[in-house]
Amino acid sequence: MITLNINGIDYSFDGDPEMPLLWYLRDEAGLTGTKFGCGMALCGACTVHVDGAPARSCMLPVGAVRGRITTIEAVAETHVGRAVQEAWVKAQVPQCGYCQSGQVMTASALLAKDAKPTEADIDAAMSGNICRCATYNRIREAINDAAEVLTR
Amino acid sequence: MTVFRKSVGYVAGIAIAATTGLVSYRALQAEGPEPPAVISGVPRDFPDAADDLVKRGQYLTRAADCEACHTVVGGAPFSGGRPFKLPFGTIYATNLTPDRETGIGGWSDARFLRAVRDGIGTHGNLYPAMSYTSYTALSTADALAIKAYLSSLKPVHATVPTGTLSFPFNQRWGMKLWNLVFFHPHRYKPDPTRDAQWNRGAYLATALGHCGECHTPRNIGFAMRSREYLAGTVVEGWKAYNTTSNATYGIGEWSDEQLTGYLAQGHAHGRSSAAGPMAEVVEHSLQYLTPSDIQALVVYLRGIDPVRGVGSDRVELKPAAVVASTNLLPAGDAAGGNTRGRQLFEGDCAGCHQFNGVGRQSEYASLAGSHAVNDTTGTSMLQVILDGSSLTVNGRRQVMPGFGAAYSNEDVAAVANYVLAHFGSKLGKIDAAAVAKARQTH
Ligand code: FES
Ligand code: FES
Repeated sequence: MITLNINGIDYSFDGDPEMPLLWYLRDEAGLTGTKFGCGMALCGACTVHVDGAPARSCMLPVGAVRGRITTIEAVAETHVGRAVQEAWVKAQVPQCGYCQSGQVMTASALLAKDAKPTEADIDAAMSGNICRCATYNRIREAINDAAEVLTR
Repeated sequence: MTVFRKSVGYVAGIAIAATTGLVSYRALQAEGPEPPAVISGVPRDFPDAADDLVKRGQYLTRAADCEACHTVVGGAPFSGGRPFKLPFGTIYATNLTPDRETGIGGWSDARFLRAVRDGIGTHGNLYPAMSYTSYTALSTADALAIKAYLSSLKPVHATVPTGTLSFPFNQRWGMKLWNLVFFHPHRYKPDPTRDAQWNRGAYLATALGHCGECHTPRNIGFAMRSREYLAGTVVEGWKAYNTTSNATYGIGEWSDEQLTGYLAQGHAHGRSSAAGPMAEVVEHSLQYLTPSDIQALVVYLRGIDPVRGVGSDRVELKPAAVVASTNLLPAGDAAGGNTRGRQLFEGDCAGCHQFNGVGRQSEYASLAGSHAVNDTTGTSMLQVILDGSSLTVNGRRQVMPGFGAAYSNEDVAAVANYVLAHFGSKLGKIDAAAVAKARQTH
């Protein structure tokens, strides 16, 4: 029996411990905000937090999760996550939106670690999150905006 | 002319005399008594095998790692066909399933023993890519238990391709001469100065696991160089690392826990993860060994004479850039001018490997302290970047995708040099030509 703490709620699961966390989130827990892109830890669409650190849920078996999981549904419950989401809305970042849960999760992990990231920091942290619609400029703008709000 | 003819005759005479001498010397050499049962056979902590020959055989077949070589990608297990590219041509592993036409169906015990322990197969002498040079040390009971297990498998009709060795290597009689010089038929002879655990480890590492076949450099005649036993070499484009007790270049400073983790699960915390051919060894063989057998291997490896080996680089356990970085952000500018390498790493690698080297989704992705990212030739790293790596242990699959199809040779070189700098504190000199060469070895 596996116990997962997702967004502050304990879930127990007695299925296959090899099930990817992404699968569990979407199909078992009904949390469909996290998206499936590549399934190979290459695109970032499925990014969630495990104890605040971004993780690719498509390649993380539920049996290997060590820590509390936060998904896009609850990221606004943290101070940083809320600032990021507000900046995202303000800058109207999404085009199709498919990659954006992952973008927001990685960006909030970045700002939680480093409230004043340089351009190079943003490149380093965000490059693993791919956006097919190429909203990269607005992503950068929103991160800088959120950083400003957070350090004000 | 006469002088010439005379000297030819002279040389031939000496050669014949020497060969005859060697033959009779070898004929006089006994293969030795059977190794005692505490050292050979299955270990005591192997559950309920006492009266199940096939189960014992399966354990020993795994310990001898027959499956990895005798299975081709996508083929049925043990049905052969896997190619082995040797410097002088390609040969193919045989079908070990009990198919009567193409496999070992109907083989007598004697015929099986001759193939496994003496290297004499259906078409004459085998090439030493088949590790009979190690399996010769197997006890008769163990070899026959392996046969019993193989015979219990479902027969698969699979004809393996004929090899493409060039002359004179395609002359199987040549192997007779090779055997005379390099092959020492013998059963495992316990070392009386060591305890039973060490001897069990030695039996596992030599007669069964044949570690030396990959980890020991070979001489010009393709035989293992005994003085550099387990000192490391390159096999099929991958580095088989130095596993002697040398503190700097071998495994001398690995903790017991690291060695056990590596052998039994393919990952040593704070050190390497198994990839490529070694991942296959862990997947098909080592993960099935009992704790007492893994322990015996650790004890045995610790006792191997330390050898420096060639082409070794010191493994940096706490590289400055890694220590300075966080999981998300790199620091301690290891990239130097290699911005391309850093960009590629940021986009495609950091998601799992992380800049602080601990591995995100899986600790198998941790890079800090691993041999591959400290080897300035980049031998194994290039293979992993190009082809990826996969390892299934305890039913859990660890996988890294390959980038060979997406990356140019220049890009592979750039990211490899970045990894050497960031995770190994080393100046990599890998260029596009090295990558092109690495692409050819698989
Ligand atoms: S779906 Fe997980 S990284 Fe692409
Ligand atoms: S907004 Fe469409 S993929 Fe990013």
